[in-house]
Amino acid sequence: MLTDGDSRRPLVVLRGLGKSYREAERERSVLRDVNATIGRGELAVVLGRSGSGKSTLLNLISGIDLPTSGEVMVDGICLTGLSEQARTRFRRRHIGFVFQFYNLIPTLTVEENLLLPLELNGRRDKGRALALLAEVGLADRAASFPDRLSGGEQQRVAVARALVHDPLLVLADEPTGNLDAETGGQVLALLDRLSRAAGKTLVMVTHSVEAAGLADRVFSVQGGHLVERAPLLEDS
Amino acid sequence: MSRVLWLASLRHLSRHAWQVALATLGIALGVAVVVSIDLANDSARRAFALAGETVAGRATHQVVGGPSGLPDDLYRHLRLDLGVRPSAPVVEADLAAPDYPGRTFHLLGIDPFAEGDFRPYFTGNATAPAPIDSQGRGDMAPAPIDSQGRGDMAPAPIDSQGRGDMAPAPIDSQGRGDMAQGDLLALLTSPGAVLLSAETAAELGLKPGDTLTLRVGSQRRQAVLAGTLLPSDELSRRALADLAVADISTAQELLGQVGRLSRIDLLVPEGPAGEATLARVRAALPPEASVLPAAARTQILEQMTRAFDLNLSALSLLALLVGMFLIYNTMTFSVVQRRALIGTLRAVGVSRREVFALVLSEAALLGLVGTALGLPLGILLARGMVRLVSQTINDLYFTVAVRDLAIAPLTLGKGAFLGLGATLLAGLPPAWEATTAPPRAVLSRSHLEAGARRAAPRLALGGLVALALGLGLLLLPSQELLPSFAALLAIVIGCALLTPMAVVGLLALLRPALGRVWGVLGRLAARGVVAALSRTAVAIAALTVAVSVTVGVGVMVDSFRATVVSWLETALQADVYVSAPGLVSNRPDQTLDPALVARLSSAPGVAVANTYRRATVTSPEGPVELIALRLQTGPDGLPDLRGNLYRFKEGNPRTVWRAFTSEGAAIVSEPYAYRHHLTVGSRLRLQTDRGEREFPVAGVFYDYGSDQGVVMLSRSTYDQLWDDRGVSSLGIYAAAGVQVGDLVSSLRALAGDSDVLIRSNRALRAASLEVFDRTFAITGVLRLLATLVAFVGVLSALLALQLERARELGVLRASGLTPRQLWGLVSAQTGLMGLAAGLLSLPVGLALAAVLIFVINRRSFGWTLQMAVAPEVLGQALLLAVAAALLAGVYPAWKMARTSPAAALREE
Ligand SMILES: Nc1ncnc2c1ncn2[C@@H]1O[C@H](COP(=O)(O)OP(=O)(O)O)[C@@H](O)[C@H]1O
Ligand SMILES: [Mg+2]
Repeated sequence: MLTDGDSRRPLVVLRGLGKSYREAERERSVLRDVNATIGRGELAVVLGRSGSGKSTLLNLISGIDLPTSGEVMVDGICLTGLSEQARTRFRRRHIGFVFQFYNLIPTLTVEENLLLPLELNGRRDKGRALALLAEVGLADRAASFPDRLSGGEQQRVAVARALVHDPLLVLADEPTGNLDAETGGQVLALLDRLSRAAGKTLVMVTHSVEAAGLADRVFSVQGGHLVERAPLLEDS
Repeated sequence: MSRVLWLASLRHLSRHAWQVALATLGIALGVAVVVSIDLANDSARRAFALAGETVAGRATHQVVGGPSGLPDDLYRHLRLDLGVRPSAPVVEADLAAPDYPGRTFHLLGIDPFAEGDFRPYFTGNATAPAPIDSQGRGDMAPAPIDSQGRGDMAPAPIDSQGRGDMAPAPIDSQGRGDMAQGDLLALLTSPGAVLLSAETAAELGLKPGDTLTLRVGSQRRQAVLAGTLLPSDELSRRALADLAVADISTAQELLGQVGRLSRIDLLVPEGPAGEATLARVRAALPPEASVLPAAARTQILEQMTRAFDLNLSALSLLALLVGMFLIYNTMTFSVVQRRALIGTLRAVGVSRREVFALVLSEAALLGLVGTALGLPLGILLARGMVRLVSQTINDLYFTVAVRDLAIAPLTLGKGAFLGLGATLLAGLPPAWEATTAPPRAVLSRSHLEAGARRAAPRLALGGLVALALGLGLLLLPSQELLPSFAALLAIVIGCALLTPMAVVGLLALLRPALGRVWGVLGRLAARGVVAALSRTAVAIAALTVAVSVTVGVGVMVDSFRATVVSWLETALQADVYVSAPGLVSNRPDQTLDPALVARLSSAPGVAVANTYRRATVTSPEGPVELIALRLQTGPDGLPDLRGNLYRFKEGNPRTVWRAFTSEGAAIVSEPYAYRHHLTVGSRLRLQTDRGEREFPVAGVFYDYGSDQGVVMLSRSTYDQLWDDRGVSSLGIYAAAGVQVGDLVSSLRALAGDSDVLIRSNRALRAASLEVFDRTFAITGVLRLLATLVAFVGVLSALLALQLERARELGVLRASGLTPRQLWGLVSAQTGLMGLAAGLLSLPVGLALAAVLIFVINRRSFGWTLQMAVAPEVLGQALLLAVAAALLAGVYPAWKMARTSPAAALREE
């Protein structure tokens, strides 16, 4: 898996990360002194109670949000030191998202939802979009609008969308949180298969034990700290 | 209803404060525009009525004559020989005061000894009418001053016979008078003596003994302030503000009308005794005179401006209509936002009726606040409007000085009613929609929007029905205006209902092109508009209505102007025009000094001088503007027209002119023919100084100078039948080889220091067009205001839309759309909405223009206009719509681009 020197360098490095929100007159600290490294090709799972700061952590890793203190390095680039514009460009090129509520663009067809990240990167590669759709088993729904799809189907489209532009890092925030167990399992399997097959790094927030079972690394957010736990045993 | 429900509702409104504020502003603006126009019209009407009452006083009837008035003798005959009392002679005229530009005075010459109770504000008795006793003399006691005071006065000409047997007038006696004793003496004895109200005198800086220059036709006359009148109350204060009171003989001298009266006022009791008196008066009248009820004058003149008022009101209502879109938009939006919440409420047991009431109460609250803001705003706006309105009335109809804004409670009440009514009406559909939310069902936006798209064809069908209704109303053969305006409204609403369908169609056409150029983002922009149809369509419809009104009114005004320009080119053929300056406008309401007319007509370099007299004469149908035209005739006995002085709508020019010059026939302008249903061969009746006469109509000519219409007679016919020898203006043709510029200079030199306007053809045309443009200034203001309301509407809709899409935009940002790209996306979307509105407003605007030109204008004013569509107007409309939409999108775009995607993505 790890072949050359460059790829030996960890993909995500979090150093002394802190995030607090101002609420009325009070500062409320959500994350405190978070340190972690995630290697290339790893599947990391983040557990934690609702409201513990998991989504906040993903937002910091993707550069959607900025930390109050500390720094985020992705692929050797310090995101926290970049301008908004540069962070956006970085995200556009190197990061893919899967959300709990699918968040497909309702006014674009399935195919167009996939074309969007490609076009943002200056590629109008219809073939790639359709190929990926076929991989998630929705080739026949290319022309449908998202609201015609079931939740599981929408999330499969979202998975394809997160991967279509060949990002380094895929961030998934409770991708199965809104699905029944069986459908959730299918989505999870898909996410695992596609990202591993392409050698992507995946950071996934989840409550699902099944997901944790697939993970190379397991973290949990507790009292604002990120704690690494031993990965659950794998059969394979 | 539950207090908690109210609380939820109020919190919702306060959380969407900007949206609520914009809707309120929209309704406030709409109400303000309607109220301001109404107040301005009403103020002008009141000022006019007040001025009329001031000079008419308590007279019940008036004896009036032709353009040259009545002879003194008639008054003496009525009063002395027939014993008709109370009766009072009046000499009056509107005069300009050249030292105070823009200021006019109504010179009122009265006989203080006959005044009695006619004009009570001279005697400080304005409110309580004096009881009239059997002899009609009232409760006045003879005043003591005069019996002695009169002895040493030079007798006024009328006096020796007219006043001899009268008890001296009551003015001044028993503290009723506001004139000092000395003032009365001065008024009667010193030449040119006039009284002004104390306030006016102070305002002009005049003290007793000072002179006041008045312009009478082309001459200046000096009046002397003999004293001041102290009005006893607010009403008389306003009534007296523009009045210059003089003794009757002084007024006759000032006006150069010695021996003539403007009218004789009568105070006739109701009942058989009064009827008998009137019969006696009628029997004694010379042919040119007639008796009219005193109220007739005010009524007739108010009638003149009816169409003008109505047109302005209709235009102002459009602003309110656009405001209604805004309320509808806001309420629909707030219902959509709360669909899930409303579903929950229904699940908890809130009834449909309660939901309905809740939403409608919210609309009422907005309407209440908007109206409360709109009324004072309207009053503020009215201060500007009243100037524009009174200027137009002065230019087109009659002289009126509107000094105060009359704030009529009725007008405000009407504005409040309209504002609230419009809001509730606009709130009905969303309130109904709210009740259809199924309990607990969380309908997705896309379901809702799919519903809106499905509704589009149904709405379009409704629109077609409204259009058909409008067309049907237009086809009704009628001169009535109300059906025409109802038709206009139906057409506007019909077009608004067609908007959603049209937007869907238009964007389906545009989408492939956008996709080709901007890829997925381009398609996203186009689809966003259709996907949120329930919101975007309302915004686009509001903008379409506003812009099409701009197009319609713009094309109408342009067409009108083009028609007037080409008309002026044929109507103004002479090289030089001479006229006395109008009072406050371009209307030729003054006469030229006859000596000057003679001098100028025979000046070297003058080939032909045609005279033109414009006078108001009476007819069985009310006052008529009469033009007496003297045209130099050529060798063939036909007028030497040097081109086409008039274009005839009906009648062959040769036969018309022959009948006009040698057979005493009349020609009438198109509006006159329209109003009185005349064609060539009909006959019209006029009251002449020789009695009522009938005139055949020889032709109908195009004329855009007066919407009341004019009747034209040849000067020789006029001179045979009327005693008036006045000339209002001269049209002079330069002799061969004489430069017009030189002729103007030499005529000016000849005119010396008389106050005359000597203008070249070109200057007069320019002046006429200036009046035209001034007339339509108010229209321009109304167009602007309607656009402003629409702008607020689009801003509000876009804000709502973009904020609702915050999540979607957050996803885009997370996927790597830069703030600038997001900005571009939002702007593309708002620009598309503007483009759609702009494109749709072109056909709608042209249709409105056609209705305005061919139906409303024709029915209001009776003239034929040529439709002229300047491509710029259409281009401007498109630009206006796109610019308004883009501008309205700036803030939402900026806000969205600035919002952190993390915040936008946070689950609710
Ligand atoms: N923009 C914000 N302003 C204030 N508080 C926030 C904001 N975003 C998140 N929080 C708070 O931070 C905490 C962590 O939120 P989040 O990361 O969404 O939790 P979760 O682990 O459920 O994903 C929560 O208590 C939440 O209320
Ligand atoms: Mg979360």
